Amino acid sequence: MKRTAILWRLASALVAAGFIAAWQLVANLKLVSPVFLPGPDRAWAALVRGFSSGDLAGKLIGTLEHMAYGWFAASIAGIALGALIGSSRMMRAYVAPSLEFLRPLPVSAIIPVAIAMLGLTQGMALFVIAFGAIWPIMLATIHGFAAVEPRLYEVARSLQMSRTAIIAKIALPSALPDILAGMRLSLTVALILSVVCEILAGLDGLGHWVLLSARAFRSADLFAGVILLGATGYLTSIAMSLVEQRLLAWQTAAR
Amino acid sequence: MSVVARLIEARAARRQKPLIAFNAATLRLGGKTIIENLDLQVRPGEFLCIVGASGCGKTTALRLAAGLYRPTSGAVTFEGEEITEPRREVAIVFQDYGKALLPWRTAAGNISLALEASRVPARERGARIEALLRKVGLPGHADKYPTEMSGGMQQRLQIARCLAQEPTTLLMDEPFGALDAMTRQGLQDEVLSLTQASETTVIFVTHDLDEAIYLGDRVIGLLPHPGRIGIELDVDLPRPRDQLATREHPEFLRLRRQLFDFIKATEH
Repeated sequence: MKRTAILWRLASALVAAGFIAAWQLVANLKLVSPVFLPGPDRAWAALVRGFSSGDLAGKLIGTLEHMAYGWFAASIAGIALGALIGSSRMMRAYVAPSLEFLRPLPVSAIIPVAIAMLGLTQGMALFVIAFGAIWPIMLATIHGFAAVEPRLYEVARSLQMSRTAIIAKIALPSALPDILAGMRLSLTVALILSVVCEILAGLDGLGHWVLLSARAFRSADLFAGVILLGATGYLTSIAMSLVEQRLLAWQTAAR
Repeated sequence: MSVVARLIEARAARRQKPLIAFNAATLRLGGKTIIENLDLQVRPGEFLCIVGASGCGKTTALRLAAGLYRPTSGAVTFEGEEITEPRREVAIVFQDYGKALLPWRTAAGNISLALEASRVPARERGARIEALLRKVGLPGHADKYPTEMSGGMQQRLQIARCLAQEPTTLLMDEPFGALDAMTRQGLQDEVLSLTQASETTVIFVTHDLDEAIYLGDRVIGLLPHPGRIGIELDVDLPRPRDQLATREHPEFLRLRRQLFDFIKATEH
């Protein structure tokens, strides 16, 4: 069991190494002009240079801030609204059709609206990121609250639990697996929208860095930014998985 | 009259007054009459078993006593007072223990739920939980999740959570229906010793006629469509009951035959 897991790790590392080697080969043979495609060696050098003498760290922090604020705002609002709608059948019937109209709306379509109303500001970015990231969380929370085992509500009634106790001790923990899954999806959405907002509004962050590098034909810097964005998405997703594993330990207890 | 005689008389009088009473209780759900004109008195300390073919409304009768349903007409009372909501001194043991336990809480956490609801201070809960687990034969399982436990253990855990409410009345809805024969017999004896010692009143719904006679002071057989009382048997078997001796007792066999004939007749 443990050995096969290690072998799979090794295999995936080999694939990644092979990919990087192929990239290096293509760059060395100049199949694509070096102006547009740097090799991994140059991209890595640009990454190190960006951190040591440039302001790449500052850009990274800028993007992480946009992402985190928007995601937190979306999580709080999404869970609160989702709980409100999901715990009442009447609310679900009233609100669900409106949600179905808003949900598939491409967030990029509301960016001009947000810019017109809020300007090219951090507030605009926060609004856009939160608006995009709220859907997976809210819909998952609605589903989680609607799917609570009815028997548990009867147990709560026979114990004469208060309404807040029922939400905190029965409904919320029961919906938690759904909520966390929604929050993980939203993490990716928040990262994408952070970059989009930085590009469109010129806000300090990796999106802006990538845009400026591309305009100046500094392809190594451009790739350094892209690599950093990829790593951000990967690491935040891993962190989220660790949190999920910890909070949902009971799910794996029996298996 | 001596003091002792008066005490005995007072106790007898208290026993005469019903703890739970159905007074012409009728329940209609979705245009169907589930229970019609049910008259039934449950004495304090009594172990009452309700049997009947499936769909005869025995679970519904229990839910009326629990306050989970309210009768369409007539009344169900607890100590003479109409039951409108579940009350803490009445605990319900559901058949589907898998659904009635919180899967994200350990055994200790599940018992704690009842203690939290009764506002038992946090520092007292640990000792209470330990005592309850010991009482139902689950010592040392405090940190297990329900999914790590067998069906019998999960049902014991649910019973422990009900006992944490310190109920005067236990309502049990086919609690052992999903368990294997050996586990079931063990739990029958445990429920008897737990409830007889504390003089807990029990209403026990089951489809197992032998189980009803073995456990009960009285057995009620319901007729279906709509549910109403078809037979009422007093069980005059010595206590404590014994899995072998009681089941071989001539009176046990007589009651068993009577009850089987009744159920058979209702199926036509």
